[in-house]
Parts: sequence; structure tokens; C-alpha cells
Amino acid sequence: MTRYFKVQIVFFFRLIIGIIFIYASWDKIAHPAAFATAIGNYHAVPFGLENMMAMVLPWLELLVGVCLIAGIMVDGAAIMCIVMNIVFIFAISQALARGISIECGCFSVSTETGDNIGLETILRDIAYLVMSFVILYRNEKRLEFFPKPV
Amino acid sequence: MNIRTPIGQAAFLILFSCIIGFGSNLVRGDAIPWIAPELEIADSIAQETESNDPVLLAISLNQAKNLFDGGILFVDARDDAYYTAGHIQGALKNAFLMELIFSIEAIQEKNAPLVVYCGDPGCGDSEDLAYDLQDSGFNKLYVFKGGWLEWSKAEYPSESDE
Repeated sequence: MTRYFKVQIVFFFRLIIGIIFIYASWDKIAHPAAFATAIGNYHAVPFGLENMMAMVLPWLELLVGVCLIAGIMVDGAAIMCIVMNIVFIFAISQALARGISIECGCFSVSTETGDNIGLETILRDIAYLVMSFVILYRNEKRLEFFPKPV
Repeated sequence: MNIRTPIGQAAFLILFSCIIGFGSNLVRGDAIPWIAPELEIADSIAQETESNDPVLLAISLNQAKNLFDGGILFVDARDDAYYTAGHIQGALKNAFLMELIFSIEAIQEKNAPLVVYCGDPGCGDSEDLAYDLQDSGFNKLYVFKGGWLEWSKAEYPSESDE
């Protein structure tokens, strides 16, 4: 059904998701240790791998955001948006199901933002997920520079 | 890797992020270890138990038995079925976290010592629960790493709800 979405809507979604991902990556890149703690608080990553995730995930968010805005590898960036949002929704849901009340760590790794996880966090990620699907299944590839649309 | 295909592009983005992420961690001043450090194992717990400082330490079977003999509260982090089949005498069941917190607070204050255990040294549930309890304000937590396996082998006081 998303095949007929207008070009403008797709570009608007690319901008929105791109800006959100770049913004989300900023604080995490600046404070890897605090972000590793935020990941650890979810208790969903085994074997102490939260540190490796804290090293890679912010850069992936930044790259995906830049690619979406710049029109570079938009398909791959949209796939990564979908995968990341599914992972975020799963992580938040399992924490809520276990009754854990923690800071989201979504946009800031500070423990004093008051951005606790909740139903609204899941709904927000579902909205991003829908937008990512719209981008992936777009009908026309406008304002994209690599790979060149055929 | 064909970066003209969507999957190839996604793989490229992951690979490139790994290179930048791991690479930048090698050169930055506030680098973090590759693997998050495991819980520190206590040599002696006498000092920590008596002081008012926050504690989150792993303990051995003997240390767990000493705390048990001292009347310290134990919490079983395993699933219901395992708890029902057998658990450390007097241990609380791992219910929904808020329920568990209410149960503990009905018995003791948040700064009183508490031992958390699960099935065996390989299970991570006790550590996870200890961190959850720490996030909820409990500040004197001991993780009995050997868990039910070591305790039952040693034939220390146990009970079952069956």
C-alpha cells in the first residue's frame, strides 16, 4: 500500500528520521561509558556486550541519519532504522514487562532527564518504525544520489 | 558485499559503524573496556555488611552460608516452577519487581543486606535482579553466584512448596 506514497511525504519522513537519529547519536557518542550503563540497565544484553554496543550503536545511528538526509544508500539506511526500532521496542517492552523503571537513554544518557521508559516510548518507536517502512517501500526515488536510481 | 542492494548497504553501514566505533574507542581519552567488567567477588564481607556504604558484590558459598546463619534475607531470582521445586529456606520468590520490592520492604529497610541467587554460576538472573533492586534503591546487595546448585549440593537448609 505504501507504493503510492507521495515523494514529498517520503522526503519529509527521511528528514524527520534523519534528524532524530543524528540528534539521538550525539550525546551517546560523547559519553560512551554512560551509554553503556544505560544499555546495561535494560538487562537484555548478555556477556557484558553492552560496552561494544555502546561503541557501535551511536555511530550507526549517526550514519543512518546522515544517509537518509543526504540521499545516500537510503534503502540500507531504512532497513537499519527498521531493525534498530524493532530492537528498541523489544528492549523497552521486556523491561516494562519485568516491572523495571529506568531512564530511556534514547536521546540523552544523562540520568536526570526524567525520560523514563513507558508506553509512550514504545508508541514513539512504533511511529518511527512506520515512517521507516514508508521510506523503504517508496514508489519513486527522488533526491537520492547513491546508488543512482535507474 | 554489493552496496547497490539494500541488504549490502545495510551490511556496509554496520561494518562502517563498527570500524568507526571500535577505532574511535582505541584513540579517545575516555575509552571503555570492550567487555563490561563482571561483578567484583568479595574477599571478605564483614566490613561491607557493617558499614553504611552501598554494596553490590558477588559472594561464595561459605559467605552465603555465613549471611544465612546471620539471618540475612535471601531472594530467589529463578522462575516460579524452580522456586516451588526447591529453594533456600526462607528465600523470597522473584515475583513482578514491584511486588518483590513491597515484600522486601515489609520485612526490612532498603539499606539492610540482601542476598540474591539463581540456579547456578552460569545463570545471570541473580545479577540482573540485583541491578534492578539497586536501581530501586536497595544498596547492600550480595549476589550468591553458586546459587541453588551449590547450596543444594552442600545440603544446606532448604525447603520446597510442593
